Amino acid sequence: MANILKPDEMIRSINYTPPATEWMETPIDLSPGRFAYPAKLDKVEYLMHEVPGVFGNPRTWNPEDADWKLPSNWKEIVVNGFKERLDKYRSLKVFMDICVRCGACADKCHFFIGGGDPKNMPVLRAELMRSIYRGEFTLAGKILGKLTGARVMEEDVLKEWFLYFYQCTECRRCSLYCPYGIDTAEVTMMARELLHLVGININWILEPAANCTRTGNHLGIQPHAFKDIVEFMVDDIETITGKRMNVPLNEKGHEVLFITPSGDAFADPGIYTFMGYLMLFDAIGLDYTLSTYASEGGNFGLFTHSDMMKAINGKMYSEANRLGCKWILGGECGHMWRVVNQYMDTMNGSLQGPQMQTPVNPITGTVFKNAKQTKMVHIAEFTADLIKHNKLKLDKSRNSDIIATWHDSCNTARGMGMFEEPRYVLQNVVDQFYDMPTNTIREQTFCCAGGSGLNTEEIMDIRMRGGLPRGNALKYVQDKHGVNTMACVCAIDRATLIPLADYWAPGVKITGLHELVANALILDGEEERTMNLRQEPLPGFEEE
Amino acid sequence: MGLEQSIAERSEELAGKWADLILGTYPSETQAVWRSNKERFSNPVGHAIHTAATQLVPLLVAWNDADAVAAALTQLVKIRAVQDFAPSQALSFVFLFKKLLRQEFAKELSAQGALEELLAFETRVDNLAVIAFDIYVAARDQVMRMRVEEVKRAHVNIVRRANLMHSDVTAQKAE
Repeated sequence: MANILKPDEMIRSINYTPPATEWMETPIDLSPGRFAYPAKLDKVEYLMHEVPGVFGNPRTWNPEDADWKLPSNWKEIVVNGFKERLDKYRSLKVFMDICVRCGACADKCHFFIGGGDPKNMPVLRAELMRSIYRGEFTLAGKILGKLTGARVMEEDVLKEWFLYFYQCTECRRCSLYCPYGIDTAEVTMMARELLHLVGININWILEPAANCTRTGNHLGIQPHAFKDIVEFMVDDIETITGKRMNVPLNEKGHEVLFITPSGDAFADPGIYTFMGYLMLFDAIGLDYTLSTYASEGGNFGLFTHSDMMKAINGKMYSEANRLGCKWILGGECGHMWRVVNQYMDTMNGSLQGPQMQTPVNPITGTVFKNAKQTKMVHIAEFTADLIKHNKLKLDKSRNSDIIATWHDSCNTARGMGMFEEPRYVLQNVVDQFYDMPTNTIREQTFCCAGGSGLNTEEIMDIRMRGGLPRGNALKYVQDKHGVNTMACVCAIDRATLIPLADYWAPGVKITGLHELVANALILDGEEERTMNLRQEPLPGFEEE
Repeated sequence: MGLEQSIAERSEELAGKWADLILGTYPSETQAVWRSNKERFSNPVGHAIHTAATQLVPLLVAWNDADAVAAALTQLVKIRAVQDFAPSQALSFVFLFKKLLRQEFAKELSAQGALEELLAFETRVDNLAVIAFDIYVAARDQVMRMRVEEVKRAHVNIVRRANLMHSDVTAQKAE
């Protein structure tokens, strides 16, 4: 919702025709709700100290003010930063030059599809940067200016970047359709890197990045408190199953290090997925440990700068080495897997200790050759392998009230091509499963509209309009098949899909995959289960 | 032939013209894309505009089922409630039907001295606007409620750790 109109605007507003200006002339609107809050001063200062050369200009500022308190040489910083990146990344140079504006991507972005702002067409969003590339770095652009779609760097351009490169979730749906394979997510990454140099940033990304660097998880919870929180979940599992589990934390000498997004430890409904992991590991007797220092699989560095991403990601191998683990099992997370699959080996592969080995499932003997480089296995692959080899005792009837659909998280789908494993697991623990329409799932999946650090409440309007394509497909299977549960393997999804479903498909519940696995999982020596992991009555136990 | 009958007979055509006017409230680049694609999943807004217009025209003529009218309005109002519109702009699409009615029928009815028929029908459109207003406000309330609930959910185990869990802050209602 935009601002309330003033009376004179109201009179004119009876003419509902939008302004017919060209995009370059359309003024930017920085009213509340159109941007996420800027980062706190101390978080920027801390990160400047930890990861030098990436962040700059720490101050208290407000995007609504005309004066963003930029350094006097901001333009030089941005233009030089741009030049440096054009030299450093061949891909950026190609992406700037090669686009023929065919429009294949134009209607593929969820923010455009739901909101209708032309600057959210991926082609035009990238054009916000390309126009500067032409104006500042190409001869034709310098001479012919606007005729070649070129412009020079101005403060309003910078503000426009802030608005629109923080309305891109780096989901890469648009790049799927690009005949040239332009990765618009990487254009967004570059724009955000340049904005960070002059102190334009959002708190929802920088605070978690700072917390992860400092204590290991996105809320900055310290080890003793983290241990208490794990104990709560052990208590709850005991209430539900009658079994008390031992959860190794920071223990040396175990085969596997398990890392999941810390949202699973703190946030409802991620906590039920976390409980699901613990129950699974107990059922198969996995030799594993958790680490408090690497207690966040998600990597908010991905949304800031490659150096920040590298620093946060490096903790995974550091902890595996310190604790003497052979390989790493990763929990249900989205962008963690984009980092692992596409950047981890290049960035931090050299940190792997000599004790690390190609992951082998100790229960089935399966060698995960796909994880030879990184030594990291996604838990959906791991559990699918267990089920395939008949190693889990499952009672589907405990999930008989569930009619499920599957949300392919952008990063596990487009970032690592994982489509079948989670569906296989899901269909082994629930009876009724219906996929959403073909052009909204698998590699064509629609984003939850909260990825890349946009899962913050102050931009709920933006998230809701961006969430329309996903919600619309969900509503379809809700109406057609009575779907009442959407499962996913991403911590950001588990948080953001709840309001999305409440708004667009009211009545659909969001769960993690391993919450449903653990509901169905029969543990040795457990008591008869009467409730699910949320402590709601199981089918058949509704009323005493 | 009475106005109601004329509208009923031209229902499909009028719905198409109304949808066209609604699409006209979006930027021109967007209109071009949304007009050319009628598929429900790749163009949910365009689809919702056409569906709402197609359902509402006959409902306005029949004008005997408030629930059906509200149901036909809901998706489009909810969409426009979270798009980048001022409240007045968001609901303007209802009044565009009035504009269309005048454009199509005012001259003819005026010549017949039967303009009051149009005025009478227009009150239905006014009523449509207030029904839309209810849905709009409910949608905005929901957005605000979701913001608060999300913050609570994000910290549920932290609140528990801090021994603040004397009552369940995430409970929807008092137990």
